[in-house]
Amino acid sequence: MLGILAGLAVVVYAGGNIEVALSSLFLNPITLSGGTQQIFVRFVLFYTMGMGVGLALKAGLWNIGAQGQLLIGMVMVFVVYTFLAFLPWPVLYVAMILGAALGGLLWIAVPTILRVRFGANEIVVTILLNVVAINFAFYMLSGPIKSAGTALGFPHSVELPAQFQIPSIVSSPPITYAVPATIAIGIILYLLVERTSFRIKANTVGESLETARFAGISIPRVMALTMLAAGALAGLAGATYLMGYRYELDIGSFSTNYGLVAIICALVGRKHMLGIGLASFFFAYMTIGAESMALSANVPTYVEFAMEGIMMLGILLGNYLTERKFVV
Amino acid sequence: MSIAPSDIIIGILSTTLQLSPFYLFAGMGEIVSEKSGVANLGLEGIMLISLVATFIADYVTLNPWIALLAALGVAAGIGAFFALTAIQLRMDQIASGLAIYLFGLGISFVVFNVVYPSGLTPNYVGLQPIVANYDKIPYVGVIFLKQNIMAYVSIILVVATALFLSRTSLGLRVRAVGENPKAADNMGVNVNKVRFLATLFGAIMFGVSGFYFAGNFVPGFQTDVIAGRGFIVLAMIYFANWKPYRTLFAALSFNIVYAAQNEYVSLSGFGVASVSTLFNMLPYVFLLALIPVFGRRARPPKFLLKPYRKG
Repeated sequence: MLGILAGLAVVVYAGGNIEVALSSLFLNPITLSGGTQQIFVRFVLFYTMGMGVGLALKAGLWNIGAQGQLLIGMVMVFVVYTFLAFLPWPVLYVAMILGAALGGLLWIAVPTILRVRFGANEIVVTILLNVVAINFAFYMLSGPIKSAGTALGFPHSVELPAQFQIPSIVSSPPITYAVPATIAIGIILYLLVERTSFRIKANTVGESLETARFAGISIPRVMALTMLAAGALAGLAGATYLMGYRYELDIGSFSTNYGLVAIICALVGRKHMLGIGLASFFFAYMTIGAESMALSANVPTYVEFAMEGIMMLGILLGNYLTERKFVV
Repeated sequence: MSIAPSDIIIGILSTTLQLSPFYLFAGMGEIVSEKSGVANLGLEGIMLISLVATFIADYVTLNPWIALLAALGVAAGIGAFFALTAIQLRMDQIASGLAIYLFGLGISFVVFNVVYPSGLTPNYVGLQPIVANYDKIPYVGVIFLKQNIMAYVSIILVVATALFLSRTSLGLRVRAVGENPKAADNMGVNVNKVRFLATLFGAIMFGVSGFYFAGNFVPGFQTDVIAGRGFIVLAMIYFANWKPYRTLFAALSFNIVYAAQNEYVSLSGFGVASVSTLFNMLPYVFLLALIPVFGRRARPPKFLLKPYRKG
């Protein structure tokens, strides 16, 4: 509520119409054409990345670099598509998805190794690698995976042909198979993580390294497992985003902040593999609402970012206040 | 191409000294903040808002010092809010910081576009070099005298921060509440008050960084114009093990690599952006490569990221 009120204040400040804004915040996401599709696209993004972030968080590790891993995943889709083009269709299709996951995994391997082997802080390294990822992706985009059609202007990749796009279950609004696949991953991870002793192991590592050592838990193994899985999931999110929605890579895909939103989803979902799903859906709905509100109330589209920030603060605040029983 | 090698070196050194203060102001702010146990990941958001405040105030008043005050004012306001969430409400510092960053990223754009619907930055004058005709003096002129007064202030700030943390009783209290808040509390230190002040100081320094950015990095405002440079500060102070002088060293060496690759890219005149972006990665990779060397000995304040509740 706090977040919504503050968000409205921004719209009013930016010269928007409050009635239109309100109705678009709550209704547009479903009524607007493309709104529902967008919600599910973001849901898949936030949930996939959020699970990774949450997994690492269980072991007390902060993956601030989901954004970078996502980018590398997207780049890898086209690297595989361009350089392994000789593979037959179904193999190449799977290779593109796996390549994206592998890219994310390799990208997070750096902070993982530095953390496990040298004890270097993973927050600092993942943040640094986000900046490197943007430069690297830009290099790949303007060279190796550039579409021949972009002699001038902003570089972009080729568009994936229809047989490499993730098919839709329902055609209107287009909801792709990525949605059930993501939920399936969520359930599998729930069974693997929340219902086994791994949860306790990870939590112990996250709570106190000393206790974990006494309990005979292999700390490097738990840390490496959770971190690498986080990277692979973020890379995978890149594949579903490109192959299920955007179909081509351009610099517009760089300046998003989905990786940061995923962190907040993981926190609001209390690091629980299914809770993160709920939080992701909520944030997907709200951010699309914020965006359409900005559009329909005729205010600059970047209001969206401001509102996302405010909403997150509001939700976090609400979350913490109820948790601590200051209110209700 | 007939540029003398000495000119290239002068150019690199001049750029290094021009860019480093941005990292130093923020670095000192973050050191004091983190020493007290509060990591502020919203630093880049605060910088963006201060940057917009600088442009607007400068345009309205034509006075760079009032612009600086405006930058400090908004930075202090957001910093106080962050401190409230992280200290009094004991919210997760990382989550709150990232939310502040997103907020800053969006609101800076919104405010800028409401004030300047064309999206163009009005002429920004800012601070002048400390010696007006610096290019008359060989070597020293371009390297040192071309810089504005804030560059010198940043060096003084490094010394002052080092002395503050090691020699003053308030500095000792700042370190105490970050290392062992319980013991500090028992000795009568108001833990959360000290943390609040340290965090507020940090935020104000991010404001100075935002102000400095306006005149020394890019001529106008665009979305996400700081592009991760604020976050790099976190890496710098990590390598520096939260020590001011080492942060100075980290900032200078990072910027020397940055300036050198920049000079190289512009001299070799790559037509395509593709190769130059590979070189743009160099300074960050350089920082990364230092981690196994310096990061090993890095020891963060014991109670960093941990809220304190009395009793």
